[in-house]
Amino acid sequence: MRLLPSQTPVVLIDAEGEARPHDTYTLAHDDELLDAYAGLVAARRLNDQASVLVRQGRLAVYPSSHGQEACQVAAARVLTDEDWLFPTYRDTAAIVARGVDPVEALTLLRGDWHCGYDPYAHRVAPQATPLATQLPHAVGVALAARMRGESTVVLALCGDGATSEGDFHEALNFAAVLQAPVVFFVQNNQYAISVPLARQSAAPTLAHKGIGYGVPGEQVDGNDVAALLAVLGAAVQRARSGEGPQLVEALTYRVAPHTNADDAARYRADDEVKAWLARDPITRLESYLTRRDALTPERKQAIAEEADRLAEAMREGLSRDEPADPADLFAHVYASPTPQLTEQARMVADELEREAEV
Amino acid sequence: MMATREKLTMAQALNRALRDAMAEDETVVVFGEDVGHLGGVFRVTDGLTAEFGEQRCFDTPLAESAIVGVAVGMAMNGMRPVVEMQFDAFAYPAFEQVASHVAKMRNRTRGRVALPMVIRIPYGGGIGGVEHHSDSSEAYFAHTPGLHVVTPSTVADAYGLLRAAIASPDPVVFFEPKKLYWAKEEVDVTQAVPPIGTAVVRRTGTDATLIAYGPAVPVALDAAAVAAQEGRSLAVVDVRTLVPFDDETVCQAVRATGRAVVVAEASGFASVAAEIAARITERCFHSLAAPVRRVTGLDIPYPPPKYEGFHLPTVDRILDAVDDLQWEDG
Amino acid sequence: MSHQTFALPDLGEGLTEAEIVRWLVAEGDEIQIDQPVVEVETAKSVVEIPSPFAGRVVTLHGKQGETVDVGAPLISVETDAEEMAQYREEERAGTGHVLVGYGPEPTSAVGRRRRPRRATATTPVPGTPAPATPGPAPLVVSPLVRRLAQEHGIDLRGLRGTGPDGMITREDVERAVAAAQPSPAEAAPSSPAAAVVAPSNGAAAPTPPSTQEASTQGVSTRETERRIPLSAAGRAAAVNLSRSRAEIPEATVWVDVDATALVELRESGRTPDDPGPGLMAYLAAFVVAALREFPVFNGRFDAERNEIVSSTQINLGIAVQGERGLVVPTIMDAGSMSITQLDQAIDEVTTRARSGRVSAAELAAGTFTLNNYGHLGVDGSAAIINYPQVAILGVGRIIDRPWVVHGQIQPRKITQLSFVFDHRVSDGGTAAAFMRAVADAIENPVRALARR
Repeated sequence: MRLLPSQTPVVLIDAEGEARPHDTYTLAHDDELLDAYAGLVAARRLNDQASVLVRQGRLAVYPSSHGQEACQVAAARVLTDEDWLFPTYRDTAAIVARGVDPVEALTLLRGDWHCGYDPYAHRVAPQATPLATQLPHAVGVALAARMRGESTVVLALCGDGATSEGDFHEALNFAAVLQAPVVFFVQNNQYAISVPLARQSAAPTLAHKGIGYGVPGEQVDGNDVAALLAVLGAAVQRARSGEGPQLVEALTYRVAPHTNADDAARYRADDEVKAWLARDPITRLESYLTRRDALTPERKQAIAEEADRLAEAMREGLSRDEPADPADLFAHVYASPTPQLTEQARMVADELEREAEV
Repeated sequence: MMATREKLTMAQALNRALRDAMAEDETVVVFGEDVGHLGGVFRVTDGLTAEFGEQRCFDTPLAESAIVGVAVGMAMNGMRPVVEMQFDAFAYPAFEQVASHVAKMRNRTRGRVALPMVIRIPYGGGIGGVEHHSDSSEAYFAHTPGLHVVTPSTVADAYGLLRAAIASPDPVVFFEPKKLYWAKEEVDVTQAVPPIGTAVVRRTGTDATLIAYGPAVPVALDAAAVAAQEGRSLAVVDVRTLVPFDDETVCQAVRATGRAVVVAEASGFASVAAEIAARITERCFHSLAAPVRRVTGLDIPYPPPKYEGFHLPTVDRILDAVDDLQWEDG
Repeated sequence: MSHQTFALPDLGEGLTEAEIVRWLVAEGDEIQIDQPVVEVETAKSVVEIPSPFAGRVVTLHGKQGETVDVGAPLISVETDAEEMAQYREEERAGTGHVLVGYGPEPTSAVGRRRRPRRATATTPVPGTPAPATPGPAPLVVSPLVRRLAQEHGIDLRGLRGTGPDGMITREDVERAVAAAQPSPAEAAPSSPAAAVVAPSNGAAAPTPPSTQEASTQGVSTRETERRIPLSAAGRAAAVNLSRSRAEIPEATVWVDVDATALVELRESGRTPDDPGPGLMAYLAAFVVAALREFPVFNGRFDAERNEIVSSTQINLGIAVQGERGLVVPTIMDAGSMSITQLDQAIDEVTTRARSGRVSAAELAAGTFTLNNYGHLGVDGSAAIINYPQVAILGVGRIIDRPWVVHGQIQPRKITQLSFVFDHRVSDGGTAAAFMRAVADAIENPVRALARR
């Protein structure tokens, strides 16, 4: 495969909902796209419900992927049960799309624990906060699987900002030299908090970065789930057949602020946001499927109700308040607590006992 | 010059210090992630790009190691960089640069190459932050010879010590207690700048001495207030500079009472608090009526917001330690 | 001032509109950030919506019962432009969220939330002395010495230390203990085994612990045992006794001596007006003479430098049974005294010791100790050397025993000498020789005195 990305980003369904032919990639069938559509609606609802829950004090913070749902859903859809997903703090929708319970997935952002799900249950790594640090981990998981003769592929998510970190460089280089079955999926949503892409990199595209390592790069319209399914799917297949790592850059947009407490008006104009709203991933797919009579009103209703149930499950699960058990603080620092930790646990227990008496 | 008192938050005071330093010395440059256009995620660099231009205050790509490494180069070549690590735990990629070069350059070149640079790091918890946003990593830096390590606890000191740090010929790691960013005080920034390397007594007392720094200082002061209601008089010392440590002020304050408790957020084992306790024991042994106690964070990774309250030193935990100071021995 | 309009947000339930159930504020009201302003009804429930702005309510866009579209204006608020900026800050200042979390907890009234583990300052702590003057805490050489002071009820703040920078040393505390009032009701010791127990530097007269009467406090009664705390003096003594036994490798030699001639000499010294020198005076003279001949026993041993430190002056300690127990006052420069002077000195120190008027310096000044325990009715004793001295000579009762004189068994006045010495300063031969010198003098006092 050639190393440099195509001249233009891959698009199969454009912003108007029109199909676009492509020599390399094939548009999926309607049923697959309907399933993707349902995923998009659910992801959007998750994003928006979570944002509201922050407002209501039920979540500490929510870095929303509103506008990036196509990337989120496609990332989950192209993987099988034996593959691994490496998400960042913004990829809650992808984690849920992969099958993790939404309340478990939101445990981190709720502030109840650093990771609320069992990574092995759905093969989803804990959400990484420091940027790009999870990329070498992804390479390691892939290599270990390959050593055991498994056909696991690891899909590692990161953002445009993360490609500036040293770990990005080291992970891609490692993966390329050792031919690890990793797909590096860069969601280029144009901003790293307030820093726009132009200040992040002078490369022609982020997909171009792959050539430095000998890793093929591809650029995709990040709001076109059909294109993402095709490109990511192909990359995963290639990795699985031993052809090595690939870098996929999705061009998308972070419609919401960095988190709820970020004042995006300080660094970008409303016009820019509006322009991207017109390229919304859900509307274009809805348009396409409706025109093809694949998305009937009944079907749409059913999908909406499914999304309602998700939102309700979130509201209900996150309004349940379980008291903190301080024993948890000491139970998971080591395989078994050290004498010092045991002593400190006793101190905390004694403090609580005396608090109860006041 | 007439004294001008104004009410500022700590974030504003830091902002003012940067502005005043940049106005006085054109070699002072500020850079980091989101510091330019946005003015910093805590608004500490607010307005600097507008006032001094993008050459003097600018956004960088997302790369902490490069931020510090580039600062080293700029400091080698006549500038006084003041860089920001966005959060304490995100500074780790830069630690190689700090330990291997920021700390060692003067020594390596026998004093020929100095690095007058400041690395600003928001640290500490108490803000209900999710993972990686509440760490206290000052021990790693305090343990590295060649660095000055400074941490204000008041708005006035935030201004004064940052000015002093920027003017210092030595590299300074400047730890800003983020939970105090919104603390408001009436200050006069025209007042003299406290020198780096001086601790200060925040509250006098006769029975025992609390020694604290950064975000732990207000907690120590609260504890002293409660103790006073209970009939016990506690002095509180604000260390302010971890390196170089002010043995004299701290020890004098301990010798006055004969009892000491060191308070700090960071996990206690192998911490700066442990170093302070050892120094006090060595130097003030003959004045001590009881062992030097430490009230610190637990020896665990910083917990999630739900559990934060168990981890951080609280007024109660400090008073428990004070109660243990062998008062029956007189 | 700026006009801010808050639009109805998507409440996350897929609704495109909501019905206003009830306004919670009125136009003209001053509202805070996050203050709930309206209740709207969704398909499932009634939801409160908080305001993101603080300020004065200008317009409520819609009446109760009306439907509002998502995205349409809901409420307009007039805010301070500066307040807008403040909103951003306040939002992070505890009333709302920060970039990465819930934000700091709002500071509430400060006080304890837990019952203290032990009595706090407000509960009077027994034995805590009020500081005499505010000022630096007293410098004390070690925690052990602090404990010593505390056990004896010595207020450190009232002491003047003799160490560097006014540091309070062990000796300072011991001196203070000696000067302090003795604890009540101590019985006389009855054990001959613990003979000399004056501690090295000025502690009070010690008494063997086992014979002490209980102090009034602290006696705990349990079924099988009873605890009797030592008095201050007893504790000090215990320390010195233990130290002596621990540090000095002592050995003992003893010999029975025929004291008949001495007794006769003593009797011959009596006149109707003047009883003449007592036996102790003669014994003291003989010991002094022997010490001149064997100076290794007159002084101390420097273990650090492995040197025998022999004193040029003989300061003879005389063990006396005092009110508080055994005391060992010192006759300074006994070597320069005649027998009569010795007799007077013995008399004088004995009287003083019996009434407890012995200075610490005196107690510490002795270079050798003579212990006559004959009046206790026993013969010998493996005594404990009075640290830091190196030897102690004990003399037992003088009683009639069958003895062989010129080949014939006769009743003679026999007494036993027990000589306990630091084996580092002398071998057995020298020790025996010393004892023989004293014994010979006792057995032939006239010749001994002639030689003086």
